[in-house]
Amino acid sequence: MTDLLEVNGVTKRFGGLTAVKNASFTLKKGEFTGILGPNGAGKTTLFNILTGFMQPTTGTIHFNGELVRELAPYKVVNRGMARTFQLTRPFVGMNLLENVLVACMSPRASEDKDKEARASYLLAQVGLGGRDKEPVETLPYGDLRRLEIARALATRPDLLLLDEPFAGLGSSEIEQLAQLIRRLHREENLTILLIEHKLREFMALVSRVIAMNFGEIIAVGPPEEIVKNEKVIEAYIGKTEEAHASA
Amino acid sequence: MKRIAPIDIAGGILVVAFLALLPMFAASNYLTGVLTVCVIYGIWASSWDFMSGLTGRENFGHSLFIGAGAYTAGFLSSIWSANPWISLPLGVVIAIAFSLLVGFPTLRLRGPYFALAMLSASAILQRLCLIFWEYTGGEEGIYGLDPLMKNPLHYYWFVLAILAVTVIALTLLAQSHWGLLLRAIRGDEATCQAAGINVTFYKIVSLMISAGFAGLGGALYAHYQLQVSPPLFSVVVSITVIIMVYVGGIGSIYGAAVAAILLTLLTEMLRGFGEYRLWIYTLTLMLILFFLPNGLIAPLWRRLTERLR
Ligand SMILES: Nc1ncnc2c1ncn2[C@@H]1O[C@H](COP(=O)(O)OP(=O)(O)O)[C@@H](O)[C@H]1O
Ligand SMILES: [Mg+2]
Repeated sequence: MTDLLEVNGVTKRFGGLTAVKNASFTLKKGEFTGILGPNGAGKTTLFNILTGFMQPTTGTIHFNGELVRELAPYKVVNRGMARTFQLTRPFVGMNLLENVLVACMSPRASEDKDKEARASYLLAQVGLGGRDKEPVETLPYGDLRRLEIARALATRPDLLLLDEPFAGLGSSEIEQLAQLIRRLHREENLTILLIEHKLREFMALVSRVIAMNFGEIIAVGPPEEIVKNEKVIEAYIGKTEEAHASA
Repeated sequence: MKRIAPIDIAGGILVVAFLALLPMFAASNYLTGVLTVCVIYGIWASSWDFMSGLTGRENFGHSLFIGAGAYTAGFLSSIWSANPWISLPLGVVIAIAFSLLVGFPTLRLRGPYFALAMLSASAILQRLCLIFWEYTGGEEGIYGLDPLMKNPLHYYWFVLAILAVTVIALTLLAQSHWGLLLRAIRGDEATCQAAGINVTFYKIVSLMISAGFAGLGGALYAHYQLQVSPPLFSVVVSITVIIMVYVGGIGSIYGAAVAAILLTLLTEMLRGFGEYRLWIYTLTLMLILFFLPNGLIAPLWRRLTERLR
């Protein structure tokens, strides 16, 4: 039972606003954990800090026992922590294969000698098989999310951070994507941390939930306990309508 | 890894053959000289395009590398009487050294630092040439370099061969996985980071490659003019090179080379128009850049050969 990720007292202030307040938690190898919280709770900010895209105001992050605070984002990736973006960021002007190929050039993928074959395989893995030459510009949202995941997988991560992969998708698309993520967790030996702001998506997927509100972690536990937690319910009062509307 | 299309190879061979034979039809040292300068501009423009065209990090001081190569040749050949052939490798090395000096501190930063640092560095070098006139010859520069070859026609062919090698090498690199990364950097640096790519490293190495070829071109120019002077470091040279790339079609490399040759020829042909020359030249450029934001040469070539691909 080794801790893969250890977050200790992480705080991030933007001027007067404290986006993340004294967050501490650990992830064990192989765990599938969710971060739950309404919009603006500080979830993406926390991801940005974990992955080196932002520096915390205070606090430390250990990944595989190593202090990763102050490492450049690409170095964090090359330690084995890869992420997707909430707002997908493909390379425009390139096709699907080339988008994934870029990540196949990263140091952890150095064993993958045939980069094209590897990128093509990963596209197939995420359900975009046979579409290597398609441009990204015309790709629907759901497929862009899959592309983000393929790119992250190309760096051969131990820990995969997914930032709201279901946002903006229809329910059948959500189900397919959830199946893909579940399979990756089971078959690829991945530890996964997934952000979601709707309670519903979590229930079937994750084994543990970290609930956030206004930058603070308000509850940690298995999903069936989290949905009964008073603080969580309070955070979501008046937001359930919105959550259902956008589902 | 993309392959270069057969039609592009055929086109390249035709253009080089045409350029090689051109002085035979109208044998004059004047034409050979003009063509030599055209071709050297081609080396400068395609080398700029490799770094800045692919990564999108615009270099406003390519003349720094050009001048570094040229002055290296000047010092070696004229002042230290070295074998003129030494100028070429050393011109490359010194230009690369300058690229590290400017690129290392500035390419890790976002924003305009790199562009401005290149601009300033080239301007500073130009000033330094004047300040240390006892060593550099000041305004007059350095005279009396040895030519690499006695026969101007042979030298022209040599320089043309180097342009061909430059364009082929840079095109192969641009089409490799390396080039893909450079284009990805142009697209989105944050995504590159998320893909585990050391963006700064790739930018610095591509600048070194760009500088090396520019320095080579600078040394070749010095051994054609047989003199070097401070305007080689000037902003005018840098801007001229950038305009050539835009007319050629940014990121295409061969387009930059062809545009450089045509625009240098155009400048020369307009000599007859006396004072109107600059007006005509500038107007032509403005029309091209206004109506063809993607440039003229590469898009035109792709259009013409569309059916043959
Ligand atoms: N770069 C930034 N500068 C200033 N404020 C920011 C920045 N990024 C996020 N915030 C603020 O921090 C809070 C948390 O945002 P975010 O982490 O994106 O929330 P979530 O992902 O949970 O919806 C919000 O109030 C947001 O406006
Ligand atoms: Mg968010």
